[in-house]
Amino acid sequence: MAESQSPLVAVKVEALVVMKIIKHCSQTFPTTATGSLVGLDNEGLLEVTNSFPLPVVETPAESHFDNAAPNPAASAPRTKANGVYQAEMIRMMREVNIDANNVGWYTSANMGNFVNMNVIENQFFYQKELNERTVALVHDVSRSAQGALSLRAFRLSAKFMEAFKENKFNSEELQKSTLRYQDIFEELPIEIHNSHLITSFIHQLQCPSTSGPTDLPPSLSALESSPFSKSSTFTPNFDNLSLSIDPFLEKNCDLLLDSIEAHNTETNNYQYYQRVLGREQQKINNWKQKRSQENATRATLKQPLLPEDEWQRLFKLPAEPSRLEAMLNTRQVEQFSRQVDSFVSSTTGKMFAVKGNMLPGETAK
Amino acid sequence: MADSFLHLARPLGPVSVGTAPTTAPLNVVIQPQAVFSILDHSLRRNADQERVIGTLLGTRSEDGSEVEVRSAFAVGHSEAEDQVEVDMEYHKQMLALHLKANPREVLVGWYATASELNTFSALIQNFYSGQGDGTWPHPAVHLTVSTQPGKDLETRAYISAPVGVTAERAADSAAFIPVPYELRYGEADKSGLEAIANAKDTEERSTNIVSDVESLERAIEEVISMIDRVSRYVESVIDEEAPASTAMGQFLLNALALAPKVEPADIERDFNNHIQDVLVVSYLANTVRTQMELSNRLATAQLTLGGGESAGGEGNQRNQRGGKGGRQGNRPQDRAATEEARA
Repeated sequence: MAESQSPLVAVKVEALVVMKIIKHCSQTFPTTATGSLVGLDNEGLLEVTNSFPLPVVETPAESHFDNAAPNPAASAPRTKANGVYQAEMIRMMREVNIDANNVGWYTSANMGNFVNMNVIENQFFYQKELNERTVALVHDVSRSAQGALSLRAFRLSAKFMEAFKENKFNSEELQKSTLRYQDIFEELPIEIHNSHLITSFIHQLQCPSTSGPTDLPPSLSALESSPFSKSSTFTPNFDNLSLSIDPFLEKNCDLLLDSIEAHNTETNNYQYYQRVLGREQQKINNWKQKRSQENATRATLKQPLLPEDEWQRLFKLPAEPSRLEAMLNTRQVEQFSRQVDSFVSSTTGKMFAVKGNMLPGETAK
Repeated sequence: MADSFLHLARPLGPVSVGTAPTTAPLNVVIQPQAVFSILDHSLRRNADQERVIGTLLGTRSEDGSEVEVRSAFAVGHSEAEDQVEVDMEYHKQMLALHLKANPREVLVGWYATASELNTFSALIQNFYSGQGDGTWPHPAVHLTVSTQPGKDLETRAYISAPVGVTAERAADSAAFIPVPYELRYGEADKSGLEAIANAKDTEERSTNIVSDVESLERAIEEVISMIDRVSRYVESVIDEEAPASTAMGQFLLNALALAPKVEPADIERDFNNHIQDVLVVSYLANTVRTQMELSNRLATAQLTLGGGESAGGEGNQRNQRGGKGGRQGNRPQDRAATEEARA
């Protein structure tokens, strides 16, 4: 794609895609579900008009190493078999006039735990191999169940792409590029768009129109069975008003604890590296001192000097562990704390409302 | 929305023995995303096409009495005066592709985007319900969704029974039997539908995703306006301006009786406990975040601490201290957070 195009500024998602993603993600919950998005790139506004789930390929026997993703679905978007599947599906879709451009992929998340290597690698694969102008849509199943729909669009920032391509994640490179954990993702605003037919369909789904006065119900049972009492209003969603605090907080605490653990592991790794580095440097210094002393005595004895840079061959400095995991972890914790904040803001409101309702005298004064 | 009709299972006309699909009553459940797919396909039809058709996928309950339509895909076809062509090859390939990703779903029938049932419908229906590639021995569900501009969308579900005197006639005719259907959406779909429904009254038919607080605000506003409406009604009944209704009164009384009776002291206690939980978790989450950020910053901030190799070593040591500080800081929180999780 031409570089000169304006950068992507927003994502417009069709209602169909929203529903398809929700269906797929909630069906496979709590395992991760991934799928592919098709649509159009309309001068910076990425229109996602259709989507399809990707099949879960059993990881072939050759990937016997342990760090292979425990969940094959999470890495599905970048596997070869799925590349073929995707191409095939898109070819089929073109025949029935669906916009046949791959514009990204989607994944499900559980309580915002989507910042991990899989997501990064998938999106990197998409932005690098397929098309620079692609997005990752993240649908958070458990947060959506709490109330408002949680669907977010992410891209990897250009800075991060650059660093990831060359795997520049040691401290020196990070200082140079000033890449911070906040810079990993760029979030794009999402807009949901309905077609005319869907608008009309939604209107029909809603409760019967109240044009003109209706007769009063003759009895209680008639009232309860009338269409009005079981009308389905979608907006606003009254499920939001229910007050369930503990499960959410508990889950969040668990996730935070996991993150802290991961952070500790990373710190320990780094400390180990530094100890080894310090020891090696000590050795080198000793060696250098010895060599220069030796050279000094040789100089007084008018003997040829020994080379001073031999230490580079003799000693090997340990490789610095990548800071990437730590960065991701920090980004993940940030995500959790934002999530908790937003939850707390709505929950405290609800709690005060309940208290005010139960103890009217208390709040009135 | 649904028409009312009597549904009867009945024995039907002459068919070759053993090939008749069952015509037992069945209930069709449609999930909204299937309808959305159909509507999307209808929008994308070729300009000269009256209607488009496609395949319905879903699940069937064990006894076959309930069919749940979960998704749909489009199939190309062309209709002329006297012949119809359906891209069967396409249908088969797409079905295979679809089943790869959704192994639990099966072929349940087909849809058309016009209410009309004609000879071609019967032909296609016989294909879908036939042996081999079709749904046999289960009946194929035919769903029609009318998408005429300016009219309400009309959805109907049918199954078919074979009719015809001879085998040749039976091949291209079918008696469509209407079956009841309902639109069902799960808990998970609800938040999505809510977001979509937000856009229903706007001119440009689009909406942004709202945050938790915003949607809470909307819900509360709606509740307040509902309470206002009810109290207005009650007042006007008291003032003898509106006709009274015992049923309505009973209903309102029942609703009011739902309010729990709890001791103020209990509420006070519960409230305080919970609000503390909530705030502590929020505080801890943010502290953890700050600590991690700090430790990361310290780890990558060597150069700013001084230049040269000697300063580098010093920087390393400082890092270690920073890292340790971060860890020690985290530990008490670890404990506190675990306690919190247990609470």
